[in-house]
Amino acid sequence: MKISEEQCGYCGACIAVCPQNVLELSGMKIITHSGCENCMLCRVVCPVGAINNGKNEV
Amino acid sequence: MEKMRYDVVVVGGRVGGSTASLFASKNGLDVLMVEKNQEIGTPVQCAEATSSSTFKTLEMKPSPKYVCTEIKGADVYSPDGNHGHLEGGYAEGFILERKVFDKQLAIESAKAGTDIMVKTTVKNPIHKNGKISGVVAEHMGHAIEIEADLVVAADGIESQVAKMAGLNTHQTPKSLCSCAQYEMVGVECDPNYLQFYFGEKIAPGGYVWIFPKGDNIANVGVGVRSDTGTAYSFLKKFTANLNATPVELNMGGVPVYGPVDKTYADGLMVVGDAAGQVEPFTGGGIHVTAHCARIAGEVAAEAIEKGNTSGNFLKKYEKLWKKEVGQDLKQSLKYRKIMDRLSDEEMNILAKFLKEQDLESISKMSVLGFVRDYPQFLKLLKEIL
Repeated sequence: MKISEEQCGYCGACIAVCPQNVLELSGMKIITHSGCENCMLCRVVCPVGAINNGKNEV
Repeated sequence: MEKMRYDVVVVGGRVGGSTASLFASKNGLDVLMVEKNQEIGTPVQCAEATSSSTFKTLEMKPSPKYVCTEIKGADVYSPDGNHGHLEGGYAEGFILERKVFDKQLAIESAKAGTDIMVKTTVKNPIHKNGKISGVVAEHMGHAIEIEADLVVAADGIESQVAKMAGLNTHQTPKSLCSCAQYEMVGVECDPNYLQFYFGEKIAPGGYVWIFPKGDNIANVGVGVRSDTGTAYSFLKKFTANLNATPVELNMGGVPVYGPVDKTYADGLMVVGDAAGQVEPFTGGGIHVTAHCARIAGEVAAEAIEKGNTSGNFLKKYEKLWKKEVGQDLKQSLKYRKIMDRLSDEEMNILAKFLKEQDLESISKMSVLGFVRDYPQFLKLLKEIL
């Protein structure tokens, strides 16, 4: 899972749905702590498409 | 580490936080409110519509300082473009300038005695004998230990405080509506009427809204629950033909599946988005949050006075908000779930039927006739009526 800092609007939607609770909003940045299982729920709710699976997809 | 001591620490400085701290302070408590952003009221994550009940709850006047427009009704568009007009009643209210409103609410709270810290992030709750008894926060690189008998978590959908206290405030892609909004200039619209647009192609699992702020300025937004496209992509699509230009982009998630299971713990109450205190059908949360947060502030005062901040006592908060707004939220969730089951085609048929009815007094005969023509709605109408 990868978050594009350029696109992120730090709204926190990804944090709300993270089942592992590994995301944290720190200032204007989302920090990913260890333990992400790549379920990609965060990608579904991101309003701006700032999250991808980190595999160079478009 | 720097240390502080308060009766209550409120985490979050928007509607929920300021309201809870306002009423806790009014009732004589020593209150600290911490806000992670450096400016209260920004960034806006809201379509800014609310009802007059918000002002009643807050004992504030709908001042032109933070009210942009008065809303008298709404125009609703079904997927086939058919249009229904709602006048007055449920559709009445105001469009706020949240940046000003939120700050004013914080100012009211401060005037009542609340201390406020901005640009301050809560890192951890403090546990003592299995009970929450404050938080560790960080401000400008310094950690501060804030001891308190009570913590109010008003820290939004990204709420960590409630989770760290062991409450389940998790949302799912089904329960969280993903939203993107432009505040736009040059939107030709009636300043006193809201507009809603439904349909799988424009806003799957949600709707498009145009909320007028006067002078042809409006919040144009999209809420979706779908993996077919982002809220932003649907927003771009919808606004492409508007001939209007944005001055602001807002985004956020709105919990639309009802309140979380438990909104209190030993030494903790959860309010607002963090507690899912939002009307599921409309996604409107300001009036619900203000109502619940006021109760939280008042229960806090009672708990401190009695020297009992156990979960067993704070249960009263949940009992009260459920009694006062719980039924409305349940009803609204019922409509949300029904709406979620409808295809575009079914929405068109239902909208057409409802348009022909006087909503205050739908006759049994008309319903029977409708169900004879469209038997697939039988179960659904049974649930509504």
